[in-house]
Amino acid sequence: MTGPDLSPRGASRRGVSPGAAEVSLAAPQPERVVIDDLLRSVARGDDAAFSRLYDLIAPRVFGLARRVLRDPAQAEEMAQEVLVEVWRTAARFDSERGSGLSWVLTIAHRRSVDRVRSEQASADRMQRVGAASMHVPYDEVADQVGTRLERQQVRRCMEGLTALQREAITLAYYGGHTYREVATLLDAALPTVKTRMRDGLIRLRDCLSVEVAR
Amino acid sequence: MTRPDIHALCGAYAVDAVDDLERAAFDRHLADCEACAAEVAEYRETATRLAEGTWAVPPPRMREQVLTRAAATPQVSAADRRRSAPSPVTRWRRIAVAAAAVGVLGLGAAATSYAALEQRLDAERIAMAAAQQRRDVMTAPDAALRAGDLAGGGRVTVVVSDLEDNGVVILNDAPPPGPDRVYQFWLVPDDGGSPVSAGLLRADQNGAIELIQGVSRGVVFAVSLEPAGGSPLPSTTPLVGISLV
Repeated sequence: MTGPDLSPRGASRRGVSPGAAEVSLAAPQPERVVIDDLLRSVARGDDAAFSRLYDLIAPRVFGLARRVLRDPAQAEEMAQEVLVEVWRTAARFDSERGSGLSWVLTIAHRRSVDRVRSEQASADRMQRVGAASMHVPYDEVADQVGTRLERQQVRRCMEGLTALQREAITLAYYGGHTYREVATLLDAALPTVKTRMRDGLIRLRDCLSVEVAR
Repeated sequence: MTRPDIHALCGAYAVDAVDDLERAAFDRHLADCEACAAEVAEYRETATRLAEGTWAVPPPRMREQVLTRAAATPQVSAADRRRSAPSPVTRWRRIAVAAAAVGVLGLGAAATSYAALEQRLDAERIAMAAAQQRRDVMTAPDAALRAGDLAGGGRVTVVVSDLEDNGVVILNDAPPPGPDRVYQFWLVPDDGGSPVSAGLLRADQNGAIELIQGVSRGVVFAVSLEPAGGSPLPSTTPLVGISLV
């Protein structure tokens, strides 16, 4: 992996002060734009574009799969499947519905979650993994360099959530649990968990200044 | 709660914290709700930022393997994008197959049988409020239908909705309970606790449509024959047990 794709990201991020958000929102996030463009080229069958896209997204797809599946060998297999699927269905990417990176990671997350759920009866998995996943910090995977700023910001925003919001989102997103499982694990009512996931995401969205370009 | 607030599911849906049936129901909803689609897109972008923290270098061999596999994989054409728009339909078909395989019928079946159930409801002249609650369950976007046969005859059908957190039980063609006996419904909780009574039929009653509340607290719905007046805990072997998960 060569450097140029990573360095502009940190530079383009705003500082830690929420007040600075307007400035950085106006600035494009180069890497994301690059990913969108590459996806469009891949959709036209451009295999050189796909190998460049690979370098940008493979660590993210693999990292997310590894986080959800908790097994490097399975994560490798899953990441391969997802990346080939990205090649196969690139024509379905629609930049009006979100960024290319989000499109890719949505596929990666859903497939990883489907895999982890089909693997074991959920009760069994909840017993084995449930308690543990509540205590796994969200920055546990630490062999990356370029995403340090990003991770710091995500961590800061996660810390801004209520405990229930944070745990519900962590268990669901990183642990692959359904909200029903989350309710059981946290001993909370179903409607409460649904609501906390949603308002937690709203708070994270605002804290991270996420927006969908239209 | 009288109306299922499907919007509340936006967050859970965006982070894949829903099961297949809920996902399908929500996909259908998204097709008609531009605001929801925009909301989900924002949550997905947010989740993407959560994923950034998991960045990890894959094994070097993976690159060559992926590029080789891709080179041998035909791509869907841009024209398929149009066809991919009604993907909820495809998804439904897929889920219907999957659901049938495990003996669970999804919303399609529940909707089809709704008219028939509605006639029964009227025939039974049950209070309007309860009827409305049952209707909410049966028309909930995530309504799922499960059924099983009773040992000794009869069939029990359960429509459950997690959105409503309620279920409707239909007991058909069961033999008369016998003197001093009644049919009693149970929910077996998922925390290993004791079964909880979910309803008691009259002494002469061998068919019913009943609302059961709080289905999310149970993993199995069961029916047993109990002494008149019912029991605090099942005193006989259950005639049927239906998994609700």
